Amino acid sequence: MRGRVWHALSMLGNYRGVIALLIVFVLGCFYTPVARDTGLPIFLSWRTQLDILFEYCEYGLLATGMTLVILSGGIDLSVSSVLGFSATLFALLTIGYGWGIAPAVAAVVACGLVAGLVNGVLAARFRIQPFVATLAMMTAARGAAKLVSGGIKVQPAAQPWYRLTEDTPEFFRWMTTAVPGIGMQPATILFLICILIMAVIVKKSSYGRKLYAIGGNEEAARLAGIPVARVKLQTYALCSMFAALAGIVNCCRQDIGDPEAGFTFELDAIAATVIGGTALTGGRGGMMFTLIGVLIMAYINKILSLNAVAIDRRMIIQAVIIVVAVLIQRQKRGQA
Amino acid sequence: MRRLAVAVPVLALVLAGCQAKKAESPPEGKPQTEAGKKYVIGMSQCNRGEPWRVQMDTDIEEAAKAHPELTVLFKDAQNKSEMQQSHVREFIQQKVDAIIISPKEARPLTKPVAEAYDAGIPVIVLDRKIEGDKYTCFIGADNVKIGREAGKYLVELLGGKGEIVELKGLMTSTPGQERHNGFMEGIAGSNIKIIFDADCQWLEPNAQREMKSALSRFPKIDAVYAHNDPSAHGAYLAARQEGKGREKTIKFIGIDALPHEGVRYVKDGLLTATFQYPTGGKEAIETVLKILKGETVEKTITLGTRIFTADTVASGGKEL
Repeated sequence: MRGRVWHALSMLGNYRGVIALLIVFVLGCFYTPVARDTGLPIFLSWRTQLDILFEYCEYGLLATGMTLVILSGGIDLSVSSVLGFSATLFALLTIGYGWGIAPAVAAVVACGLVAGLVNGVLAARFRIQPFVATLAMMTAARGAAKLVSGGIKVQPAAQPWYRLTEDTPEFFRWMTTAVPGIGMQPATILFLICILIMAVIVKKSSYGRKLYAIGGNEEAARLAGIPVARVKLQTYALCSMFAALAGIVNCCRQDIGDPEAGFTFELDAIAATVIGGTALTGGRGGMMFTLIGVLIMAYINKILSLNAVAIDRRMIIQAVIIVVAVLIQRQKRGQA
Repeated sequence: MRRLAVAVPVLALVLAGCQAKKAESPPEGKPQTEAGKKYVIGMSQCNRGEPWRVQMDTDIEEAAKAHPELTVLFKDAQNKSEMQQSHVREFIQQKVDAIIISPKEARPLTKPVAEAYDAGIPVIVLDRKIEGDKYTCFIGADNVKIGREAGKYLVELLGGKGEIVELKGLMTSTPGQERHNGFMEGIAGSNIKIIFDADCQWLEPNAQREMKSALSRFPKIDAVYAHNDPSAHGAYLAARQEGKGREKTIKFIGIDALPHEGVRYVKDGLLTATFQYPTGGKEAIETVLKILKGETVEKTITLGTRIFTADTVASGGKEL
């Protein structure tokens, strides 16, 4: 019987993470408070399901970029600070200087790309270990966030010279309000579009194949004539670009440009990537795994939050579920 | 076939889960409306990493215990506004009878609180304000008044003259500024001079370090005014470590008066006095009860303060 179950599991191929996700979902069904007027379980309501995605879309965007970097055999610790810097800069440009949304988004994304290129140059050209190179960027970007904001949270009338004194731009509310008919917030849609496009690119394009090759065996990839440094540059640039998008989402959601935003988010992004099944050693995994990883993390958090589980127990439960999820992933390696 | 072997039990589990929820009596702490007199209150705390905020939750819990019809669901946002936004939305979905929130930041929480208010759920905002007026009641203490009372007390204690050290809280924060400004009002017109001051960011190790500098520079210090009790305690320890017995002659004054911090230090004779910065937890429950009974409540409730000294600490301090 046991053999048959494992065999069945192996039919799911690489998508074992689905099992972990299902288990978490079932837990959620069992363990949910009910709405006090209708008596229906809140966890199963459509709105809760959409909220789960919305609440995790910042982590999701970070994890999308993180997956690329991890596939290449690297790591990017700077995403959290790039998020904070982008949120601050976006607020400063729109609220402080009164820029339009399109130029502000373009400027923030461009800054993100620059930060990523610096990471890439340090890691690929100067051969600094990615952990160290991005650690430096993590510190620098946080400092830059505090520098541009003058150490305060950017909100209307926070400084006498700010253009907006009453309310934040309409765009902030638009991003975080459900689109009628779809029921999803544009922020969520942005995340889903990003991760799906990257899934196709990673799977189908030559960039994707090079990424796996470098992560699998960098030396062999080099000998096979793959431009390792250039692919790495592109990868770190993309990763920071997604972090910049996450920063814009964060700013809209918080209705404020907080230089401290995103603190420790890089760990959640790495956790989501690894839980999904992408190997930290590089070369194995993929974007759809990460989507599953993000969903697992988001569901765990929502279930614990809905039930008002106290923080002490909550942290321990979270840790156990993460380990179990990774173990379910691991089985396939043993078999394959 | 084999795929089915997995799918069937999993599906069964899912269905059982949903089924069970309908058949079962509601889980503890979440009574349904037909019970009539049972009320559920959602409490969203911004950060239980701070002892004062843990005390706020404790005060709410204690006050609610006296009313068996109340159940309070406590949630901790771990210092993240996004998480606190989710808390409020979860409480709305759950249709709790009232929400108490101590927000991390005004702007991000203004919209969710307004959603709750518009959905007809009374919202009590504790300690930090939100923007606009879409909430039921704000309960907070007055830091300027507390600082002023501390200043007046020192003037009386030192007979109108003396040289003192001020160990400030984080001066980019409003409480730090207000506790300083109030204190300056309190000592205005007296001959009390602040000979040394430092921003200790509310932290005991910083206060201890700064106090050591003050002790080495000034042979005569009459009193220390610290913006919170841990800083006052740090200053006391610095004086004791100096080894000249100055901890016995210098008067140490703190603010906050948490039972396990300031009040205990006063009881043990380390601090001369501490001024309570009330959490408003008890008042929040009282206000919720009034609202649930259909009474109208004030939009803003400003809390008073109590002073704890060696004489009054046993009897629970003295109202100011």
